[in-house]
Amino acid sequence: MSRLIFHIDANSAYLSWEAAYRLQRGESLDLRLVPSVIGGDEESRHGIVLTKSIPAKKFDIHTGETLYSARAKCPSIVIVPPRYWLYMKCSAAMHQIFEEYTPKIQRFSIDESFLDFSNMEDLYPDYMKLAETIKERVSKELGFTVNIGISNNKLLAKVASDFKKPNRIHTLFPREIKSKMWPLPVEDLFMVGRATAPKLHGLNINTIGELANYNLEILKNKFKSHGLVIWNYANGNEFSEVRRSNYIEMKGIGNSTTTPFDVYDKDTAHIVLLSLCETVSMRLRDSKNCCTVVSISVRGSDMISYSRQKKLTVATDSTRKIYEIACYLFDNVWKGNPVRHLGVHITDFCGNDFYQCSLLDTFNYEKDIKLNKAIDEIRLKYGSKAISRSCFLHSGLNSMCGGMAEGEEEYPLMSAML
Amino acid sequence: MKVLALPIEMVSYTDNNGNIKPVRFRMQIGDEPMQVIKIDKVIVKDTERFAGNIMTVYKCQSLIDNVIKLFEIKYELSTCKWILYKI
Repeated sequence: MSRLIFHIDANSAYLSWEAAYRLQRGESLDLRLVPSVIGGDEESRHGIVLTKSIPAKKFDIHTGETLYSARAKCPSIVIVPPRYWLYMKCSAAMHQIFEEYTPKIQRFSIDESFLDFSNMEDLYPDYMKLAETIKERVSKELGFTVNIGISNNKLLAKVASDFKKPNRIHTLFPREIKSKMWPLPVEDLFMVGRATAPKLHGLNINTIGELANYNLEILKNKFKSHGLVIWNYANGNEFSEVRRSNYIEMKGIGNSTTTPFDVYDKDTAHIVLLSLCETVSMRLRDSKNCCTVVSISVRGSDMISYSRQKKLTVATDSTRKIYEIACYLFDNVWKGNPVRHLGVHITDFCGNDFYQCSLLDTFNYEKDIKLNKAIDEIRLKYGSKAISRSCFLHSGLNSMCGGMAEGEEEYPLMSAML
Repeated sequence: MKVLALPIEMVSYTDNNGNIKPVRFRMQIGDEPMQVIKIDKVIVKDTERFAGNIMTVYKCQSLIDNVIKLFEIKYELSTCKWILYKI
């Protein structure tokens, strides 16, 4: 029995959602037909291109580049601020339509889903017709277009939906791999990014086909386990299930932020770190875990990043403990240059149902656990702004930093695993 | 008909099933005086869900300045706002 997987991906999602929303409210301009981008807030230095329209692509504007350079490439460009609540709504409406067709859906990210139609031949005899129906319904009812990729597994379906945009249906069954997937540049493969691609080019691998036919031993030697993964992907071997929830067992929690202004002194940097630790450790406690490794990353205004990590002797879930270590790491690694981006990441989890005290520590754990619990409960009940440490007063910084914009906790994020 | 998308003040009637029926509305185009229009007939009622935003669309007919006119009004559920969409 062969499987049948659809991968459905909204075309330039944020932008076409915004465009549909505006058209519905009577705006005459369709953002999709002019060079336009959805861009972050430049004031707080989040001014990058989040999504671009297809006409903007012709000006060589890429996702992730600064709005400044986008404007330089196309002075008449329309820049629209993001509206996350709208994206949630669109994504939910799209999901609602999919649910009418199959119960097995994996929301892979806010704008893409995997739908499993295996063993439903009797219900849907013609998969092309089914794809047509879904595509038409989305565009007619919700006012935006989608690409649908059809195959036997999630990887090939995802590659297929990326072929030609917008508003298309593509198939990529194993028999079509040779003709449709292998001529593509190797960067188009899932899990081959800006770090792996140059290394592959170094091995004279430029297309997916070359990767698929390369000697596996050499790849394993050079990329370790990742080599096997991408080699399998290049050959279309991928067998993961369409999972109903996108949740994968957590291995680490991290948070980072680009500060609204460059940080020149240690004290301000410590405050930013504290605000990151607040969110990270609250999520850690919420997941009922303790961590034993804390790492920080620092990016200077020169865009050069570096990071350090430290293994703890005692596992902890205390905001203060994590903060102390983050500060210790920062003081050790910081070279005194202006900082624009800071991150805190914790890994190596263990359960938090008991606590191992250390004889060499003077820290009052009992008291700290009670304090953290009280703060978490207040924040859950009255919102994250209800209680904060006094050092944030008049600092111009948010007491809980990182993550999504306000109230976007439910925002589904894409993961590196299918 | 041309797209106007003008916010309007509306008197509507909601029955015990939650169906909303527009009755009459007041609008002002530019500097012209306020104008009250009684909705004589709702021809079609439709729901649109563009971008996941639910709006109820009413295609209506009224006698305005002794001329029978067709127009379209929309009700946005999430904000409870009425707009004169097309006239």
